[in-house]
Formats: sequence, C-alpha cells, structure tokens
Amino acid sequence: MILLIILLLPLVTGLGILFLRNACTVRIVALTSTIVNLVLTFVLMGSSPAASFSAEWTNLMGIKLALGFDGISLLMLLLTNLLFPFIILAGFKREQKQVSVLNFLILLTQAALIGVFLSQNAFLFYIFWELTLIPIYFILLLWGGENSRAVTLKFFIYTLAGSLFLLIGIIYLVQLTPGIHSTDFSVLNQLHIPAATQIWLFWVLFIAFAIKMPIFPFHTWQPNTYTMASTQGVMILGGVMTKMGIYGALRFLFPMVPQGVLYWQNIVLVMCLIGVVYASVIAFRQTNLKRLIAFSSMAHISLMAAALFIYNYYAAQGLLFQVVTHGLTVVALFYMVQLIQDKTNTLELPQMGGLKHAAPKMAILLLMIVLVSVALPLTGGFIGEFLIIIGLAKQSIWMALFGGTTMILGAIYMLYAYQRIMLGDKNISFKNTTDLVRLDYWMLIPLIAILFILGIYPQPILNLVEVSANTMQNLLTSATGIVTTMSH
Amino acid sequence: MVALIPYITLAWLVPAFPLVGFLITSLAKSKLKHNQAGIIASTMVALSFITSVFLFFILNSSGQDSATLTLFNWVSAGDLKIPFAFLIDHLSLVMMLIITGIGALIHIYSIGYMHDDERVNSFFAQMNLFTFSMLLLVMGANYLILFIGWEGVGFCSYLLIGFWFKNPAFNYAARKAFVMNRIGDLGFILGIILLFFTFKSVSFNEVFAQAATLQSGAPILTLITLLLLVGAVGKSAQIPLFTWLPDAMAGPTPVSALIHAATMVTAGIYMIARSSILYNLAPITSNVMIVLGLTTAIITAIVGLRQNDIKKVLAYSTVSQLGYMFLALGLGAYSAAIFHVTTHAFFKALLFLGAGSIIHAMGGEQDIRKMGGLRSKMPITFLTFLIATIAISGIPPFSGFFSKDLILTKAFETSPWLYAFALGGALITCFYMFRLFYLVFFGAQRLSSAHPHESPRVMTVPLMILSVLSLFGGFLNIPALFGGDSGFENFLHKAVTSKESGEIHSATEIGLIMVSLSLLGIIIALAYRTYVKKSTVPAADGAPSSLIARIVANKFYLDEIFAALIEKPFGRLSDFLFKSVEVKVLDSAVDGVGTLTSRLGNLVRRLQQGNISFYLFAMVAGILLFIIFILIV
Repeated sequence: MILLIILLLPLVTGLGILFLRNACTVRIVALTSTIVNLVLTFVLMGSSPAASFSAEWTNLMGIKLALGFDGISLLMLLLTNLLFPFIILAGFKREQKQVSVLNFLILLTQAALIGVFLSQNAFLFYIFWELTLIPIYFILLLWGGENSRAVTLKFFIYTLAGSLFLLIGIIYLVQLTPGIHSTDFSVLNQLHIPAATQIWLFWVLFIAFAIKMPIFPFHTWQPNTYTMASTQGVMILGGVMTKMGIYGALRFLFPMVPQGVLYWQNIVLVMCLIGVVYASVIAFRQTNLKRLIAFSSMAHISLMAAALFIYNYYAAQGLLFQVVTHGLTVVALFYMVQLIQDKTNTLELPQMGGLKHAAPKMAILLLMIVLVSVALPLTGGFIGEFLIIIGLAKQSIWMALFGGTTMILGAIYMLYAYQRIMLGDKNISFKNTTDLVRLDYWMLIPLIAILFILGIYPQPILNLVEVSANTMQNLLTSATGIVTTMSH
Repeated sequence: MVALIPYITLAWLVPAFPLVGFLITSLAKSKLKHNQAGIIASTMVALSFITSVFLFFILNSSGQDSATLTLFNWVSAGDLKIPFAFLIDHLSLVMMLIITGIGALIHIYSIGYMHDDERVNSFFAQMNLFTFSMLLLVMGANYLILFIGWEGVGFCSYLLIGFWFKNPAFNYAARKAFVMNRIGDLGFILGIILLFFTFKSVSFNEVFAQAATLQSGAPILTLITLLLLVGAVGKSAQIPLFTWLPDAMAGPTPVSALIHAATMVTAGIYMIARSSILYNLAPITSNVMIVLGLTTAIITAIVGLRQNDIKKVLAYSTVSQLGYMFLALGLGAYSAAIFHVTTHAFFKALLFLGAGSIIHAMGGEQDIRKMGGLRSKMPITFLTFLIATIAISGIPPFSGFFSKDLILTKAFETSPWLYAFALGGALITCFYMFRLFYLVFFGAQRLSSAHPHESPRVMTVPLMILSVLSLFGGFLNIPALFGGDSGFENFLHKAVTSKESGEIHSATEIGLIMVSLSLLGIIIALAYRTYVKKSTVPAADGAPSSLIARIVANKFYLDEIFAALIEKPFGRLSDFLFKSVEVKVLDSAVDGVGTLTSRLGNLVRRLQQGNISFYLFAMVAGILLFIIFILIV
C-alpha cells in the first residue's frame, strides 16, 4: 500500500493544487507533499530489508499495476524523493508565471519518475517512461529561456525516437515469452535469448538509455537543453532523469541481453570514456556557465556510464554511490547558477568576476560545491569516483587512466569557472549585490551538508548500495555463467 | 617502560586542535575581534605541538616501535577496507613535530605579518585547515588517509596562494599549483589502486609485511613505485612538475614558509620514505629518482642564480633542496632524506620568515636590486638571515652541513660522478644565497622611498627560535666521523628501512669535506667580491645580456614551453571539439536526420494524403535512418 501512496501522492497533490490560486499556498502544499513522500520513503527503507521484494498488484482500469522494489530501485526512489523537495523549494519567492500549473507539472514528473523506478513489468515501465516526457516537455517549453521552442522540440523528438526503439525492443521481448504472453520483468529475465539475437537486440534497447543518460555521441540534445531550461527544469533533467537511463540499462540490458552487453562492452566503454574526456575538454572553453555545467555533468555521467558497463563490484558500488552524489551536486550547482544569474544579470563568464567581494558567503558555498564536483577526498564526490576508478582499473589500467583524467580536467574547468565568477576585482557592476538570504541557506546548507557527510562517513550509503551492488553482481555472475556454459 | 596503548589514544588530539581552530575561526569569522583569530589559531597549533612532544616521549620510553589508533571505519566495500586510522611511529612523529613546531612559530609570526590585512581571520582559518590536512597526511595509517591529507593540503595551498584574490595573476598561480598537483595525484591514486589489487590492502603495516616477501625488481612493484613517484613529483615540485612552486610565491610570505618550504612540499619525500620497503625492491624507480633529483637540484639552482625577486630565489632554492632529498631517496638513504627535510624546514622557514620581515620593512618591495644596506636597519633579521644562509650553504657546524654532507657522502659511495654533480649544485646554492644576502644587507640602500625598520617582537622572536634550530639542528645526527652516534638516523631506522651501503674510509670522508669546504670558501669570497667590494647590482630586466644569461633568467623558458605545448593546444582542442565536432558534425548530423525525416514525410504525404499508417511508417523509417546514420558517423 505504501508504494501506491508514494506513487499517487504527488499526482493527487498536483491535481489538487491546480485549483489553488495563491502562488505561495501552491508552493507550500507542493513542498509538503514532497516532504511527506520523502518521509514515506524513509519509512519504507526502515520497515523492510532493502532487498526484499514487495509487489503490490492492483487492477486499475484494466491495467495491471504491479509495483515493487529491489535495492537499485529503492536507491533511485530515495534519490528522486530526496531531490524533489529541493526542486520545489528552488521556485520559492521567484517571479514565475502560472505557479499552480508549473508545480502540477513538477509533481506529475515526480510521480512518473517514481512509477518508472517501481514498475514491475515492462508495459508499466514504458508507460511511465514516456509519461515523464510530457510534463518535462511543457516545463522546458513554457518556463524555459531563449529559443525554448526549437530546443525543446529537438529534445522531445530525440528522446521520443529513442523510446520508440525501446518499445520495439519490449514488444519483441514480450512475443518471446511462452504461453499467454507476459510483460513482467520476472518473466522477461528468464528468457534465455540466443546469443545472435542478443547481439542486435542490445542496440535496440541500448539506444533509449544512451540518449537519456546521455552517452557520447547521443548527447547533442543535452547541452542546448540544459542551457535553455529553467532552473527547476534542469534540476529535474540533470538530477533525476539522467539516472533513468542508468536504471533502465540495469533493468533491461543486464538481465535480458547479458551476452549482448558482453559482446558490445568494449565499444560502449570506449564511447563512455571518450565522453569523459570529450565533455571535460569542451567544458574548459565554454563561456556560458550553464552550458559549462552541462558538459561537466555529461563528463560525470559518462564516467558513471563507464562504471555501469564495466560491471564489476567496485564499479557498481561507485556508480550507485555516485548516482546519489551527482544528483545532489547538480541540484546545488544549478541553484547556485540561478543565484549568480540573479546577482549579475548574466550567464556569460567573461562578464562576471569579483562576486566574492559582494557575496563572500556565497563564494564559500560555491567553492564547497566545486570541491564535491572535483572529487576532493572527504566529500561525497570522492568516494563514488574513487570506487569507479578502482572498478575501471580492475578491467584495465588504461581505462582507469582515461576515466581518471576527470580528476585533472574537472579541476581545470571548475576552478577556472570559479575564478571567473568569484575572484578578481571587477566588482563595479555588482555594487548593490547582496549576499545569501535565509531561503538560500535552507536550500544550500542541507544539500552541502549531505554531500560532505557522504564523504566523511560514507558507510551507511555504502551499506545501502551494497545490496544493490550485489544485485548487479548476481546479474553479472548469471550472465558470465551463461557465457562460460556456451563456450564449453 | 611506559605502556604505549593508553596514551596513544591522545593522538587524535593532534589533528583535532587545528580542526577545532579552523571551525572556530571560520564560523565565527565576522564576530572575532582583531588578532583574536590569530591567537586562537596559534594556540591550537601550539597545543598540537605539546601533544606531539608528549607522544614523542611516550613512544621513546615505551620501547615499542609503533602504535595504531583506529577511529572508525571510513570505507568498507568488498575487500576494500579503509579504517580512519593513525599510525604513530618514529617517522610520523618527526613529521608531526616539524609541522606543529614550525607551524606554531609561523602562526605566531603571522599575527604580526598579517596584522593589517582585512581578511586576517580567513587567513588563520585556512592556515589551521592546512595544518589539520598536513597532520592527516603524515599520521594516516594507510595510503588513503595519507591521500586525504595529500589532496587537502593541495586545496589549502590553492586557497592560500590565491589569498589575495583580487589579483588575476595570483589566482592563475593558485590554479596552476592545484592542477599540476592533480596531475601527480592521478598517478598517485592509480598507484594506490594497484597496491590494493596486489596486496588486498592499503594499510602500511599489511602492505609492507607482504611486500617484504616479494622479489626485488618485480614489474608490478616497479609500476606501483613509479606511479607513487608521479604523485611525489607533483607535490614536491620536481622536474617536470615544478614550475608551480615559484609561482606559488604569490601567497603571503608565511604561507611560503609553512607550505612551500617546510611542510607540504616535503610530503612527497615523506611518502616515499614511508614506502621505503617498496622502493628498496624497485631499483629502476630508485635510479629514476636519482636522475630526477639531481637534474632538478642543479637546473633550479642555476635558475636561482639569475632571479631578483627575493621570494623567487628562495623558491628555486627550495626546489633545488627538494632535488637533493630525492637524490637521497634514490640512493636508498631515506633517513638522510628525512634528516634533510628536518634541517631544511628549520633554515628555509627561517629564510622565508626573514624575507617576510624584509618585505614588511621595505613596504612590500620584493626586488633585491632595490634593497641594500639593511644590515644596520634590521639587526635581528640580519643576524638570523645570516645564520640561515650559512646553514643552507652547508658550512659546519650549522644544521645544513650535517644533512647535506650525509647526502653527498652517500652519493660518493655510489659514484664519484654523482658526488661531483651534487657538490656542484651545492656550490651554486652557496653562491646565489650569498648573492642574495649581500645584495639585501650590504652596500647602500637603493630604494630611497622605503623606510626600513626592524619588525615587531611577535615576528622577530620566531626568527630567533628558528635560528637556534638552524644553528644546532645538525647536532641531532652527528656522524661517527665526529664522534657522534647518528642519533636521528638510528631513531628513524625503526620506521624506515634504508639500503645498506659500502662504508668509505674516514680519511676519504675528511678529504671530501675539506674539498667542499675550501670550494665553499672560494665561492663566498667570489660573491663578496662581486656584490660587496665591486657593489655590482644585477642588470635591470630587459637590459641586453648574453643568450645563456637570458635563457637562465627566463627559467629555461619552461613556462613558455609548457604554454606552447600544453596550455594553448588544450584551449585550441577545446574550441575545436566544440565548434567543429560538436556543432558541425554531431549536432548537424542529428538535425540532418530530422530534416530527412520530415522530407520523407512530405513525400509520403503527397502520395498518400491523410493515411495515418504512412505517417507512422515515415516516422519509424526516419528514426531508423537516424540511428543508422549515427552508427556510421
């Protein structure tokens, strides 16, 4: 029951606030709903061992609604419900048009995302997967910045095109199931598909996830979309929706086409590692702050994607840890971007500088987020990337070297950006700028505190992740088991 | 005999004091009155020092060699178990005493030096954070805790180099330092990961116990030690990653004394000495260290000859002295390297603080060509600076003599050629140091606008304490030749395993010392003749000079070469990837597929207007084409 409440609460609240007029009330109701959902998630985590499978079967309008979770979906659920209060909070006290519609759309996205992570059959998964696209499309289109129409259209068509392949893949998979066909993951996971089929089926399924994450060279929608998107829109996109790609890959590729994964593993890994270096190098010379962070995010995601496909215990631990850290970092970072834009009236780095004079506290908090982003030890960023690099090194020291360049390149572009925003003595134009206000602290301090606690005492999350990593590990052993039996 | 275990739990206090100091001074920054932050910060480091001294006596009287204190489990994932633990042994104690002892003096000195700075509270917060990180580095019981400190000091160094953040050049220097360190750190972390794969542990005790069973020259050990060396090269500013250190002089002078002379830059030497068991088994890496160290020592000493900024001279001299330490490490004389770390911390901190006193007196002027005649105006600074200059030149009985002579003797034991080169570097060191000394303190005052005066007591007392250490610090390790018992080396031998080396005859040893002393005498006389008798002042920048002089004055154009080979191509690559690959190829490929799809749609519509199934067909076909296109591109 609790799963159904978690899924429906945002939806019901969202519909409810459509009838509210006062912007302030709308935001408070929306925030309360997301906080309740977060508390429910904690209850869920506390009530049963994380690995236990709990399915809820309901016949809703003829659709079999099967919800459940394992370690990986629980982690994704936690991330989603942890970030959405902050995403709602980021809209507080801002001039926004149609506040009730906006918050409805945000809550609808939340519900759809929760649906993706809790679905227990491919049909439901696909419905929710596509459903996320509709509210985010309108959020981007109507609340986005310059050129939102063209950019959003491209984003929409690109991801939709990917999703169609996923649909084809799912249909193909379902018609393979014996007897009366089933879309349940538990059934689909048991299909022992011939290796030759797996090899092409891999790409049919992979494309959708690769576009969502995004993996090089399927990423071209991402920098433009991030640059144009509103703060809340980009938080949803970068914080949670990128993780849908990772989650989908874990749910579909590894259990259903393990030999396809192993067959294409090296090529995909090369794509991921190219993405790490490519995006990091490009980030260095970007003048638009949002675009810079978009490329930086792509670099981090590419490293996570590499961890995903390297597929060993340490990489899995690092990946799942990094899923949490990256989500929190992205939200904190884009909130900072919003503040910087408020204070300087620009997103162009060459026009900024010396903001530290007027806003020293903001400078300190930004620097702390930068430290997480460049993976300094004792911040959450380090644990995840360190474990990922161990995982890469287990496969090959060269992969670890390429993946590890993010340590150097990240420091290069992030510190350069920090300098261009905060340092120097160009403070004439921002004379009337004020430092942070109370709302900003409510937003930033919890995020930064979690990010540092994750780095100083990571064990609780590692324990939670351990279960998920073991789930992945089991998938891997079953996959390699098949391969070894085939080769004998 | 004292039981060590109950007392060792106090070890956590050593890093805790500066951490508390950092938290107080940073959180209550705006509430603290003038000087309060400085007093709090200095007290905290002094308390750490007292605790370290206490631990020192406890360890000595316990008869034990080491003790481990585990605070909590930091990371535990599969086989990877990293406790947050401290290792207290003779090596870490020596480093702790240097960091907290000299650190406390530098903190106190800074109360005077930074007195007029508006962000003095931030300064002390950052200094305390640095001290905390540095203590983690030397106290960590495994490579990962060491690495936390390692990156932490790098970050604090970044903050403090760019402390005066209005100046873009300073900000650039800060970034350069951090990035160059990070290049080394990538090597370091890969080395740690390989260590973990090889030994299933990153704890010093477990790794070294297992390593002792390995064959000397095992390829995996060579690779690991080389990767760790990459980290040390970045942190300890050796060729080719040394150019950040002279630029790091942008930071306030106490920062240069603490971070860029006495402590942080010696972290690489500490780490390799700590890993002595691994390095003893990797002869190739040892040879690499000999070559790197000696080359760095000589080249940077030569560059130091033509520098005119007082802090730059000292910076090059630091790089050069670090080169000697690497030479010692390569020779397997780890305790000699740590001994030189110790004496160098005394006299180089003294030189930098003396330089700070001079800069303070000259109203911020750092060009030695504009100084002169300060001997009578600043007697205490003069005397203490003289002691430090003699010490670094290696003249007995000052501290530098004992540590440098130890390294030179080890070099001679390996090859007379090594000795000759090392001695050559030492002679150059002596010349540029006395050149600096004479130009600053002798002759007539050349800048009429300055009104030099002796610095306040809060600055001169640390100078005097450091000069006592620079004078007598060498007596910690009097070699057998002079009837001593090599106390410092024996003390360290419980923690580091130096290579056995062939003894040389004491007559030869005395002969070598005589040769080097007489050459040093000649060099000092030469410097005296040039800069005092003839009162030569180095030519102004841009004055015509010979090609070699220009090359040396411009640091062999290394910065320019770096810019041309790495920085500029990197920027161009970034532009190329974005403007050409991203926008022109990848993005327009996607757009092209989109256009193609809609054209195809039009075509189909003309044929079959209104037929929905054909629209769907067009869509799917378009997407297919798009995928094929992407796969091909």
